[in-house]
Formats: sequence, structure tokens, C-alpha cells
Amino acid sequence: MLLLQLLINGIQVGALYALIAVGFSLIFGSTRVFHFAHGATFTIAAYVFYYVYSVAHLHWLLAVLGAALAAVVFGVLLDRFVYAPIQRHEGSFFTVFVASLGIGIIVQNLIGMIFGRGFVSVSTPLSRSAELIPGLYVSPLSGIAIVCAIVFFGALQLFLMRTHIGMGMRALSENPELIRVYGLSPRRLSTIVFALGSLLAVPAAILSAASSGLNPAVTHHVMLISLAATIVGGVGSLRGAACAGLLLGLSENLALLYLEPQWSEAVTFIVLFLFILFRPSGFFGRAITS
Amino acid sequence: MIFAKKTLSISLLAFAAWGACAQAADLKIGALFPMSGPNATYGDIFGTGANLAAEHINADKILKEKLTIQYEDSQALPQQGVIGMNKLVNVTKVPYVLSAFTGVSKAISTTAARTKTVAINGGGVGPDLADLGPYFWNIIPLANFEVKAIIPYLIKERKLKRFVLVYVDDPLGASIRKEMTDTLPKAGGELVEALSVPASSQQFSGIAARVRAAKPDAIYIASYGSQEAQIVKQFRDNGLKQQLVSYSAFSIPEINKLPEAAGALYTTQNVDWNSTDPVTKRFVDDYKKKYNKMPTAYVANYYNAVRLFGLLAQQLEKQGKPVTGENLLAQRIETKTFDLVGGKATFASNGTVISAMQVNEVDGKGGKVVSVVSQ
Repeated sequence: MLLLQLLINGIQVGALYALIAVGFSLIFGSTRVFHFAHGATFTIAAYVFYYVYSVAHLHWLLAVLGAALAAVVFGVLLDRFVYAPIQRHEGSFFTVFVASLGIGIIVQNLIGMIFGRGFVSVSTPLSRSAELIPGLYVSPLSGIAIVCAIVFFGALQLFLMRTHIGMGMRALSENPELIRVYGLSPRRLSTIVFALGSLLAVPAAILSAASSGLNPAVTHHVMLISLAATIVGGVGSLRGAACAGLLLGLSENLALLYLEPQWSEAVTFIVLFLFILFRPSGFFGRAITS
Repeated sequence: MIFAKKTLSISLLAFAAWGACAQAADLKIGALFPMSGPNATYGDIFGTGANLAAEHINADKILKEKLTIQYEDSQALPQQGVIGMNKLVNVTKVPYVLSAFTGVSKAISTTAARTKTVAINGGGVGPDLADLGPYFWNIIPLANFEVKAIIPYLIKERKLKRFVLVYVDDPLGASIRKEMTDTLPKAGGELVEALSVPASSQQFSGIAARVRAAKPDAIYIASYGSQEAQIVKQFRDNGLKQQLVSYSAFSIPEINKLPEAAGALYTTQNVDWNSTDPVTKRFVDDYKKKYNKMPTAYVANYYNAVRLFGLLAQQLEKQGKPVTGENLLAQRIETKTFDLVGGKATFASNGTVISAMQVNEVDGKGGKVVSVVSQ
């Protein structure tokens, strides 16, 4: 029963990780911006949802819309007013990375100043587990997390495969000049990429606020997961990032069968290390050196 | 031109002298609190107590100089704590530092001993904090007192025998594990599982499954800050209905207002907030006036830590002795008993305060006392 319980927990956590990782991987894969502030996007969305729903006591739908709007606006503004100017003047990958890291830290501190640096959570009956069969507890949020991951990932795939903009986004990282030839604007595409990538963090942020609660330091954890999942999944591969997120969630939880909980986070890095060693291109990705 | 130069030089000298006087007019102590990171909430709480004591000391003109506190951010991490301690000791040259968290306190204790600077802890409860040398004082009863106070109560009064311990993987967690391992069998209980979690961990649904599999009567949580609140929420959400138990780290607003924590039991040192003792009454009245809520044991501890400095420094000043760590230590040993919040406090020879303990229940209103245990 413990195995089954940990398997279900792992899938739920993995679904959330997958959503976070896909957003990060979409941005990195398309724009080559190492968007370390993706964790900050997650935290902003989560805290806006918490504020609108739990503090202002407005309808949950408004809270979801508020969280989505905040995440998208943050991502787009960051692209327009931080990353784009750096890329225009210098274009150094490292400078963009440092800027992103700095923004993440600033946002974390600002959130701490505005909402307090302690723990907050969104109280909802959906996070309460029910005993399905003796010894097996599952909360409605587990199901919602899994459905969200499938729906969002499916919709993203359709968008990328079936629309001109989606195809343009896929081509963005390869050859921006060619995109111009086809009459598309790389800058506009980059904005759309950031909007979509940021949007993908929203369901995970909301579900995390309700299931595990929040503090401003959650930013770091989100970033570590995004980074690990992107490498394990293969840089630029969205399918890979989704599978890697799921794998990391499952590994963290299934490790509890045999290991002390203190090793659960280390398992993430063991998986990462093994992939770097034996399959550096990740699940379905291109070689890291490419 | 010469006159102008002279005037300028005299002005500069006067300004420098005034600056030196202004500097000398302040008596500074240091504080190493987490001001950022997941445990920053404790820094906020500790600071309210320390600041209120400084305000009272300055208002009463207990010292010849104005007392100020220089805060450094430890982030509750030993490495950051050492950086802050070095700054306080070597740059600001304070004689007295407020410390918090077991890991940080242990890390800075060698600097305190080497530089003969008093470090006083009002938040960390690792029992080995009692053995950090004469310059490390504890104005909070340590975890061994907390565990020893609550275990007999749980076993005899609540009839709980099987315990699972979920503890943070740091010196505090390790020391509570040791205490539980020693204390439980003697009291007639059993530690059926002890699960350690990394300090940065935020997901506990899997650990809840392990806890459930151990079939305990009670779950003792030995972590702190946001992590404790996350453990409580996720354990309850994952169907664990057993009695939750913890130590003084539970006396924070996040736990108090968390619906899932209602009914959880935790220990703190015994303080009668309704006492008519003038020190306690003034502290409680002014705190309530300033923050519109009741103080907690942590607030009282750091109030006491600063008040203790005021009392010791006052005695040194009366004797014409400089306020140094060495003199503060000698004066503490000489005075022995102090009028602090909660009544008269006496230090044991190892520099740790001895106090009665109380078992509290989380009730959403700041905690209600369910039992008082003398040590």
C-alpha cells in the first residue's frame, strides 16, 4: 500500500514539476534566455492567487485570472525591459543569466516585504485527502494537477504544431533571420514565448499554494526543479521536460520506500547526475553541446 | 585666505570631535537574526522583543549612553551567522550579541569565546548549546527540558505511547532525536520511527505516507518556521489525524492561525502573562499596546536578553568598569539572579537559565496552557 501511495503522490508532484519545467524549457529552448526568474514568476502567480482568493475573498476564478495576468505581465515585461536591452547591447548569455538571477532575488525579497516572509496557504477542501481504499489517501487536487498537466501540455503541443506562430516559436531558436524572411518578428515571437512560458507556471503555482503552502523562498526550489528537468529532459525538448518533471516527482517520492526522507531532494541530483553521465542529450533532447 | 583655511580646519576638527562624541554616546550590542529566507519570520518576532527592551532601557535611562542594537542577517544559516558575527565583533566591536538558532549559535560560539564577546541565545534549543563555554549564555530552556517536560504528560495524561519523530536534518533536529531516544523508553513510550528531512524541503506528502505506515499515536515535529507549518498542513491534508506535538518553535503566528494545527501541543518555558510583577506587566502592556496582540515566549526571551545586558552594564557603569564581554560575564556570575519578564531568573553554572515549562495547545488565539511542569 505504501508503494501505491507513494506512486500516486509522485505522479501528483511530478505533474506540477512537469508544468514548471515545460514553461522554463519553452522559454530557454526558443529564446536561449536562461530564465532563472521563472521561479519568481511561479511565486508571483502563487501569491497573487493567495491574495485575491484568501485575503480579498474574491471568487476563485478571479483569483486564477489575476494569477495568470500577473505571471504573463511579469514574464513579458522582463523580456521587454531586461532581457531584450541586454541582448541588444551585448547579447552575452552569462549577463542575461545574472540579470535573471538578480531579478529572482529581488522579487523574492519584494514578496517577503509585501506578503510577509512566513508561511501562507490557501485553505480549500480540495486539498483534503479521502481514503479511497484502506490506507490509500488521495486528494482531489492530485487529480486536478494531473488533468491540468495533460491539458496544458496537450494544448501547448497543438499550438506549437498547428499554428504559424507556434511554428515560428519553434524556429526562433534556430534561425531568427529566417523568421524575418517569413515576415515574422523575432521580438514579437519572443514576447509570446515569455507569455506562454509564464502562463504554464500558473497552474502549478496555484495548486502548490493550495496543497503545500507558500513562502517567498519557494522560488529557489522551483528553479532547481526547472533546471534539473530541463537538463534531464534534454535542452529544448518540451516532451523531455514534461517526462523529466514527472520522473523527478516520482523519484523523490519512491525513494522514500528505501531511503530516509533527507535523501529525497538528493535523489533529484542523483537522477540529474546519471543523465549527465550516461545520456547527456536527455530523454528526447538535442545534445547539450549543440 | 589663511583665516578661511583656519576656520575650515577648526570646523572640520569640531565636526570630527562631535562625530566621535556622537559615536561614543551610543552603546551598541549586536543581534544575529534571520532577516531573510524561510525563517525570517523568527527574526521579526525576536526583534520586537529586543527593540522593546532597548526602548525601555533608554526611556528609564538605565545606562549613561543610549543603547542601540545592530542587526545582522544570519538567514538562520551557520555560514551567514559567522559572517555577521565577525562583522559585529571585529568592525562594530560589540561586547554582547543576541544569537538564535542552534546551528548559528554553535557556529558563532568559537568567535565569541576567542574574542571574549558574550553571545546570548533566546531561540535555539539544541541541548549542546549548554556546553559552548562561559561566553555563550542561554536565556531559553533547551530542548532536553522541553522533551522531558512533554513526554510524561503525553504518556500519562493523554495515554499516547507510540511516537514518530519528524525532524529537520540539522543540529537541533539531531539533538531532539537524541532526547526522544533517551527519554521515551524511560517514560514508558516507544519511538517507532524517526524521519529526518532536509531544512529546505517543502514537500511532505510522501513522508506523511511513511508516518501513516508506522501507525503512531503521536507525531513529534522538530523543525522550525515555514517548514513546520508546511509539515502540519500536508500531514493533515494527507489524512494523518494523530496528535501533533512540538516544542517552542510552534509559538509563531503562522502555526497559531493555521487551521490544520488546531489541537497540536507544544512546550515553552512557563510565563504567566497575567502576572502583577512590574517587569512582566510593563512588558505585556507595552507589547500589547504596540503590536495589538499578546507576546510569545520568544518575544519575552529576547526582551530578557537585552534587559539582562542593561542590568549588567548598569552595574558595571556604577563600578566604573568598562562594558566588555569579560566584565559582563564576571558580573553575571556575581549577581546570579535577575528580575526579568516571568519573574526572577537564575543562571546555572553553564550559563543556561533554569525555568519551569508549560505545555500549550494551539487554539488559534495564541495558545492555551494545558499543563505546567516544574524542572
